[in-house]
Amino acid sequence: MHQTLMDLWYGFGIALQPHNLMWSVFGVLIGNLIGVLPGMGALTTISMLLPLTYVIPPVPAILMLAGIFYGSQYGGAIGAILLNLPSHPPHAVTCLDGYPLTKMGKGGTALGITMMCSFFAASVGIIVMIFMSPLLVQIAFKFGPTEICSIMLLGLLAGATMSRGSPLKGVAMTIFGLFCGVVGTDVISGTARYTFDFPELADGVELGALFMGLFGIADFLVSVNRTVVKITDTKMSMKDMRPSRAEIKEAFWPMVRGTLVGTLFGAMPGTGPTITTFIAYAVERKISKTPEKFGHGMIAGVASPEASSHSKTQVDFIPTMSLGIPGDAVMALILGALIIKGIQPGPQLITEHPDIFWGLIASFWIGNILLVILNVPMIGVWVRLLRVPYKYLFPAALFFIAVGVYSTKSSLFDVGEVAVFGIFGAIFLWLDFQIAPIALGFVLGPMLEENFRRAMLLARGDLMVFLHRPISAWFVGACSLLILAQIVAYVRRVRIIPPVHPGDELIAE
Amino acid sequence: MALPRQLNTDHIAALMLVAMGAAIITIGLNYRMGTLVHMGAGFIPVTLGVIMTAVGILIGVLAPSSDGTGRRVALPQLPDKRGAVCILGGVAAFVLFGAFGGLVPATFASVFIAALGDRESTLKTSALLAVAMVGFGVLIFHYGLRVQLPLFTWGG
Repeated sequence: MHQTLMDLWYGFGIALQPHNLMWSVFGVLIGNLIGVLPGMGALTTISMLLPLTYVIPPVPAILMLAGIFYGSQYGGAIGAILLNLPSHPPHAVTCLDGYPLTKMGKGGTALGITMMCSFFAASVGIIVMIFMSPLLVQIAFKFGPTEICSIMLLGLLAGATMSRGSPLKGVAMTIFGLFCGVVGTDVISGTARYTFDFPELADGVELGALFMGLFGIADFLVSVNRTVVKITDTKMSMKDMRPSRAEIKEAFWPMVRGTLVGTLFGAMPGTGPTITTFIAYAVERKISKTPEKFGHGMIAGVASPEASSHSKTQVDFIPTMSLGIPGDAVMALILGALIIKGIQPGPQLITEHPDIFWGLIASFWIGNILLVILNVPMIGVWVRLLRVPYKYLFPAALFFIAVGVYSTKSSLFDVGEVAVFGIFGAIFLWLDFQIAPIALGFVLGPMLEENFRRAMLLARGDLMVFLHRPISAWFVGACSLLILAQIVAYVRRVRIIPPVHPGDELIAE
Repeated sequence: MALPRQLNTDHIAALMLVAMGAAIITIGLNYRMGTLVHMGAGFIPVTLGVIMTAVGILIGVLAPSSDGTGRRVALPQLPDKRGAVCILGGVAAFVLFGAFGGLVPATFASVFIAALGDRESTLKTSALLAVAMVGFGVLIFHYGLRVQLPLFTWGG
């Protein structure tokens, strides 16, 4: 306990160093700015700015990435509430009640409530992270290749099945992602695999190219001339954003419940943020005395999902940092960036790189306070940004993507890769696949292969080792439960995830 | 099993997965397979190919109702042709003019071509946007972030 507080103090020292603080502020600001723009989710934003992190040291790089992440997440809520435009799927639920509130002239209040909930939920999430991570690390030290394999399997399976749409298609996309991770030179035998004689592919598929193709170009391809953005005339000033005392009271318990849902789901590897917000919303509607009012501007319908997504975001960092297993696509990207910087997330991270771990935690708080400070006076600017027409936005973003991918390795070949993954992504989206599981598969793929091969070598090829080792057996058990639940749900034709309103169909997770 | 009268999304998805799985297996069999104890380079990819094929077949068999929400049974709308061509053309232009031209022509070409993809854009608005992005790009990426691509180059 005492030690934890000391560590936290140390973290604040790191995060408040001018150089680190500057990058953190920059990340939050840019993340918020791009997140507000229609069609730009957290993933697009982070992958576009990923190359920037290659030129700066690891600590400010990760602080900046995290800042971009929650900045863009917050920015996305603005578009969802004011324009009914979820640029990031978790906000799809926020639209349901946020937009009606805007139509009632209470958009400002909804944003104010969102801000309050985000801050509260993020703070709870951070506290959970502070106290849970060291505990998890103790367990994680008992992990051998067998355990790492089975927990990765659980994460991948959860990522594939616990999101929107068909679970089978999710599995297919996970496999595609794992396969993309295989491309390149095999570390053990040195064989070049699936490189089609391109020397550029020997180092594997470029992380940035894969992400930007799948989440950037593919999204442009399906959205261009297809999504019509209707601009509502919204004027917003600082005064509008302050919720009344009655409204705060109305939002308080939904906020607490949402935070709880988010925290629980955050601890489960592989569950995406979208499903978390759906569940938070469903819970709220279930226990409400006036469930019929949901969808017509209930404050609880904004407070609870927003709180859940923000606490989930924070708690998600626990498995990412302490086990090296990302919870969702965004975490996978952050993990990938860390690996590029030569830092292997895992149980050793906290002891070997305490500056990164505790600095990151402290920067979360600083970043969240910054978001509140930033958004109150800037809201007028954001509202104007929301009106940037798509026809200017996507060509500019396309250029940023191209130049960003190029700068990673000064390789035009990688820019070509972006186009290829863009086509793949567009086909997948067209066929109603979800593409987020690809990201998870791609980042975990090489680790899974290495650990699986090592585990099999140690166990002399006995697959039963996954059941003989107790920790691993638990994970395998959880996997079977997941599969069983899906089969039962399929047979009974129950919708595990409620249908979404049509506005967000084209948007990639 | 009788062939379905009309192919829907899931049928095409299934065919695609089976084709991809088969391709992965075919290429993967060229690498050493090894045994479960000493896996060769081909072991994991071939396994992945097999799972992908199996999932594809499963999706195809369960097709009309496998989407639990019943959404989108018919084939979805194809992306806009002009938009798609211009977006991919924009990326291709960046690669081409990046190698033979440099940062300035590459920026102009990619933004200009991509912008033409929107049906509301005209030659003039696209060119203006492209010029603006050239200025911005040179400032930020060349002078600011020192991206290695020279402003003008030929082949180098």
